[in-house]
Parts: sequence; structure tokens; C-alpha cells
Amino acid sequence: MTDIHKTIVVTGVGVVSPYGIGLDCLQAGLLSGKCCLAPTKDVYPGFEGTTAQVRALAADDDRSRYSRTDLLAIMAAQDAIANSGCDSSAFRESGIVMANTVGGLTGIDTGIAKDPAAWYRRSGGLLRGASYPFAHVADAVGDRLGVRGPRCAISVACASGAMAIALAANMLLDGAAPIILAGGSDPLCAFTLSGFNSLRALDPNPCSPFDQNRNGLNLGEGSAVLVLETLAGAISRNASVMAVLRGWAMTNDAFHPTAPQKQGVGLADCIKLSMEMAAVRGDDIGYVNAHGTGTPLNDIAEANAYEAAFRGRKNPIPVSSTKSYFGHCLGAAGALEAAITIMAIRSGTLLPTLRLSDPIESPGVDWLRGEVKRQPLPLAMSVSSGFGGSNTVLIFGSAR
Amino acid sequence: MTPNSLAVTITGIGSVSPYGPLTGLIPQSPLEPGIITAWTTAELRRAFLVQPFRPASVVPGLKTRRLDRLSAWALVASSLAIQDAGIDLNQVDRSRVAVVFATAFGCVELTEAFYLSAAANSWNGTDPSTFPETLPSAPASHVSMFHGLRGPNVTVSNKYFAGETALIQAASLLRNGQADIAIVLAGDALARTLYSWYEVAGLLSPACYNSEPMSEAGGFIPSEGVAAFVMELSDRGAIRSDARSYARIRSGRWATASQPAEIIGPMLDGSVPSLIVCSGNGAPCATSPTTELARAISGDGAGIILPQPFAIGLAGTGALFHLILALGSRPNNGQALLLATAAASGFAALLLELP
Repeated sequence: MTDIHKTIVVTGVGVVSPYGIGLDCLQAGLLSGKCCLAPTKDVYPGFEGTTAQVRALAADDDRSRYSRTDLLAIMAAQDAIANSGCDSSAFRESGIVMANTVGGLTGIDTGIAKDPAAWYRRSGGLLRGASYPFAHVADAVGDRLGVRGPRCAISVACASGAMAIALAANMLLDGAAPIILAGGSDPLCAFTLSGFNSLRALDPNPCSPFDQNRNGLNLGEGSAVLVLETLAGAISRNASVMAVLRGWAMTNDAFHPTAPQKQGVGLADCIKLSMEMAAVRGDDIGYVNAHGTGTPLNDIAEANAYEAAFRGRKNPIPVSSTKSYFGHCLGAAGALEAAITIMAIRSGTLLPTLRLSDPIESPGVDWLRGEVKRQPLPLAMSVSSGFGGSNTVLIFGSAR
Repeated sequence: MTPNSLAVTITGIGSVSPYGPLTGLIPQSPLEPGIITAWTTAELRRAFLVQPFRPASVVPGLKTRRLDRLSAWALVASSLAIQDAGIDLNQVDRSRVAVVFATAFGCVELTEAFYLSAAANSWNGTDPSTFPETLPSAPASHVSMFHGLRGPNVTVSNKYFAGETALIQAASLLRNGQADIAIVLAGDALARTLYSWYEVAGLLSPACYNSEPMSEAGGFIPSEGVAAFVMELSDRGAIRSDARSYARIRSGRWATASQPAEIIGPMLDGSVPSLIVCSGNGAPCATSPTTELARAISGDGAGIILPQPFAIGLAGTGALFHLILALGSRPNNGQALLLATAAASGFAALLLELP
């Protein structure tokens, strides 16, 4: 029997993606098969590569108190509230858990390292410095929306967005707030592009996750925010339930600063723990939205994790990577992919991985490619991993 | 709304601070700011500084050569806390040990170095070994890697209450069954860019500019360090029979609400804590909003420990140090409240039971 006080539901989803603003816009773009990855030269002098940019947001204003990370998060949170069908007064006591990895680095250039005091004295320098801490994003969203519950920022590399949702669910179980806006936000920025470039992790062309000939990742930008609350809370305020967060789990590989453990042991454990929490078996999961970055190391570790976690399943587990559509949005990725997973459940659509012509050999996995598959999807999983070995898995279920 | 009882016990403490690397409580001794020499300053500049030490001399086998100081200190502090708790990690299911790390600024020293390499070599010529070490989550990742801890690994922040947030999130992981033990860390390291921001923003105490005694008004003295707690569930038989208990965390709340007393009142359930430990930001001040709230809560019934200058200097990550200093400053028992407020940004409060 369902305990409505212990059941966490999603009652709103806000999205800012390279497709535009809103979940409908994201869904239309993904289902059309449009790829937002495009040649890019303007992120820093000398950079040539492939990225996916959010055109709905203008370039940084040097004198703004908000960084691009903040602005993406604010837009997504506003969209989530609009999507929930309630006005913002319903969110007054809500909590905020926002993830990111970049913070205010978009507004900071190399001049700061040469003479920081002079740099801060430039017009807007102090404000841009103040937006540097990654906690600033949670405050930006809270202040702009007038939300006064507990605020918290999360940064665990590429698993950040998913972990924000998992920790928010814990907070709801603890009674820390009646509603929590949880998600992630990250923009393209010179610092991170340069970092991934230095690690030779970037594919100069649009990425090919899970392909034998994959050559690295592409960076994208965006934000997604979920409105989370208990089912009891949603019923009491007559909110429309979009999906149920059935299970969540977090583990760490404890292996390497950047590389995943090759057998995917930590990730497999995380998948198993999330299914245990959701009280479901491998056969019950209809689709996995994978981390699927397109790097040689990530994708093989992930394939091995699926083999281990879904061993004994009657049919191969359907898996795709939607990073092939608009790249890797770092701290926002897990939240955007949670939104896509919810979209998949609600629309009964399984998206293929783009440019997947020669998949990794993995008999337990049905690598989705080609056409969009349409079928009822009661349960689906979103998988995230990151530098430092962090893994987070979320299982969403249909609201019916 | 009444939050569930958190019911976790602090069983080990370790720290790296201007007092040096220490196991357990910090001995009470006055602390004077030191002179900054790590970067060039035109005139005298002071802060509460961690004196350089060799991490491997404290934790044998520890390799920290390419790490940010924050990561190195997190490794040392966590090792000391685990040692203090008397935990043999070989006897523990390490997939059930979580790491929760709070930082305001992350690995700012190597972030600065990365910017310097970009300035010198262009963004196309940056150092690949530095980039992953600039991530705010790098210290927590190193703690998991070094100790082989495979439970949840979380890095959190909050402008004013990062330390309190880490304690509450760690307690939440424990009581929601996602870990049996949590290593909770909070801290920051000073770097030139951070100190300069404080200075240009006019937030520094006059004591940063000369050797005069610290005053209560007129800014704060930046500081650095990392504190680590080992936290274990108080019930479910998880506390080992020989485990020490520094304090038991009963419940915790933080919010941006403008009326903290209305939320803290129900936490106390009609009782008055015998001790209120004031955390907080800004200058160390006997008449700060935090101490005024503490007096309003306690009346004449509680001892109030004022914010400590060194812990204040850690911006939002000083809560663990405030608690360590308070536990070391006076014998006490009964209920205690760790309390912080920050003007429009709300409050954080943790209700503790002292043995």
C-alpha cells in the first residue's frame, strides 16, 4: 500500500535547453530528431569544436549580479513553477536544491589571476566575484522567486543535477520543506571547455555515444528544475502529478579522479540500490536514459554496469544517450535527463542515440538507434556519473 | 511542519587549522592572525593561516603533491577523525560509508593556477592535471578514493550555513538508510583572489592590516582550515559499544525565513537548551543578531558561547569548528543549540545532546 507521506512526486518540470524554453519545446525537438550540436568558434579565442548553445539567453552582462549559470537556473525554475500550474505564492516556504559545476566562472577572465584587486575594482568586478561560489545559484533562484525555505547547492561534477534531485527527495522525507525545487544548471564557459580540451576528452565533431568509434564528448548548456513534493502534499493542494520518483541511490567508485572504474562496479551497485528502493526488478525497467558521454572510458564502464545490474533480465535493457542531441551539460545534465526520462514515460517514447552505427558489444543491452520507439513506459531510469567517481540513479514511474 | 529526529552521534573529530593538524578537540589557547607570505602583498596583511606541514608526516602514505591544499587538508582531517572514532575501515562495509563535504569557495588555489596557466599559455594551453583538481567536489572525491569509501559522496554549499547544511544532509543520509557512517567535512583555503575580494569589498577587520588587537567591530579576519566529523546512527545498534560520543544531533533546520524563532521553538519542544553555541558571519560581536536570538531563546537559562573569530573567518563553513571550539571550551551536558543567523538569508539551527 502506498504511503502518501513517503511517496515523492513530480508536479512540475522546467527546462532551458538548446531547443529553447520548456519541456514541450524539448520534447518536440528531441522527437523531431534535430541535433543541436554545431561547430563553435566563439567560446574563447582559438577554440574550434562542437557545442550546443542556448540561444534563448543573451550573452553575459558584465554588470549583472547574476552569472549565466544563475540566469539559466532562474529561467528553468520560473518555467517549472509555470508548468506546475500554480502561482509562485504556493512556493513561498519551498526549499531549493540547485546543482552546478561552473558557478560564476563565466563572468571571470584570466585578468583576475594577474592582479585580482585591480580586476575587482573594474566595473562589475566585485559582483562577478560574488557570483563565483557555486552556492550563489541557489540564492539567485530563491531571491528571484521569493522562496524562503532551506537552500542548498550541490556540486559533484557530472552527477550534480541528478544528485540534487536525490538529496531533495531525502529532504522531503525528513520534512525539511513542503515543496522543493531541485535541479541543475550549467553554461558553456572558457574554463570548462579549456579543461576538457586539455584532457583531450572533446570530440571535435558531434559525439557518438556507445559507438565502437566514439571519440569523446561535446559540451552543451542548459538547466532543468523539478518541482518535488510528497504525494500527500500534492493531494492536499490538488496539484497535478506528472510522475513518481520511485527510487534513488548514490554511490562512489572510489577509484580515480577522472576515470570510471572499468567494470562499472560502483554504477552497477547504484542501479541495484535504486531498484531495491523502488521495490522493482530489472525486468520492470522499460528504458534507461544513460549517462552516455561518448568518451571511450565512460561508455565501456557504463555498458559493463548495465550488464551486471540487469543480469537475468528476460530481454536486453533498452538504453540511449540523449547527450547525442545537445551534448553534455555537466551540472545540469542529470536534471535535464531526468526531465527527458519523465517526458519519455508521459509520452511513451523511447529516444534513439543519434549517430550510433556500430554499438559496443553488450548482449544484455538493447542500444536504441534509428527510429523513435513508441510503447507504454510505466518505469524508466536516469543514470548519471561524474569525475571523482560519483554515481546517481533515479527511477521515475508513471503517475497513473 | 515537524522534522523527523535526526538521531545521529558524532563519534570522531579531526581538523587542520591554524592550530595545526589535530585529533579530537582543539585545546583552548588564544590564536593570533599570521602574516600572509604565500603571495606578494604591498603592505602587511594578516589572516588566520594554516602553517605549512607535510601531510605524509601526519598520515603515513598520503600523497598530495598535485592536489589543492583544500583536498590535502580534507584527507588529513578525515584520517584523523576516523582514527579518533576508533574505526578500523577494514572491519567496515565501505559501501555504507558516505562523505559529505561543505565548501564555500572550493579549490580556489588551483582554480587561480588554472587561470594563470590560461593567461600565460592561452586557453588552449592549460594544464590537464590541474583541471580536475579545480572542481569543488575534488576534496570529497579524494577522501573517498584514499579511504576506499563507496557510499554517497556529496559536496554541498550554502552562502552562510554550509557547515550546518553538511551536518543536516549527512544526518539525512544516515536516517534514510543510505549509509551507516558519514564522514562530514567543512572548510575552505585562502588564496590571493579570495582575500583580495574581501579587501576590495571592505569587509576586513583593521586587525588584518596591522598588529593591533582584534576589535569587535569593523569587519572580520579571514581564516582557513578543514574540520571533519565521523557521524554514526545513534540507534539501530549501529553505535559501537566502545565508541566515544562528542554530541548527539537530535534535529536540524535551516531556512531563509525571516522569523527563525517560530521555527526553532517547536524544535526545542518547550525546553531551554543549557548551552547555545553561536556560529555566524561578520565581525565577532556580542550584540550580533545571532547572539540576540540566542538570548531571546534562552532567557537567563543558558550559557551562550559567542562566535569565535577564527571560525567566523571561514565564512559559511565554520560551523564544525564553532562546535569543536565550544566542546573544548567548557564542560557541559544536556541540550545545546548550534545557532547561526544571517540577516535576510535566514538561519540554521541544530539541536544537540551533550553527554
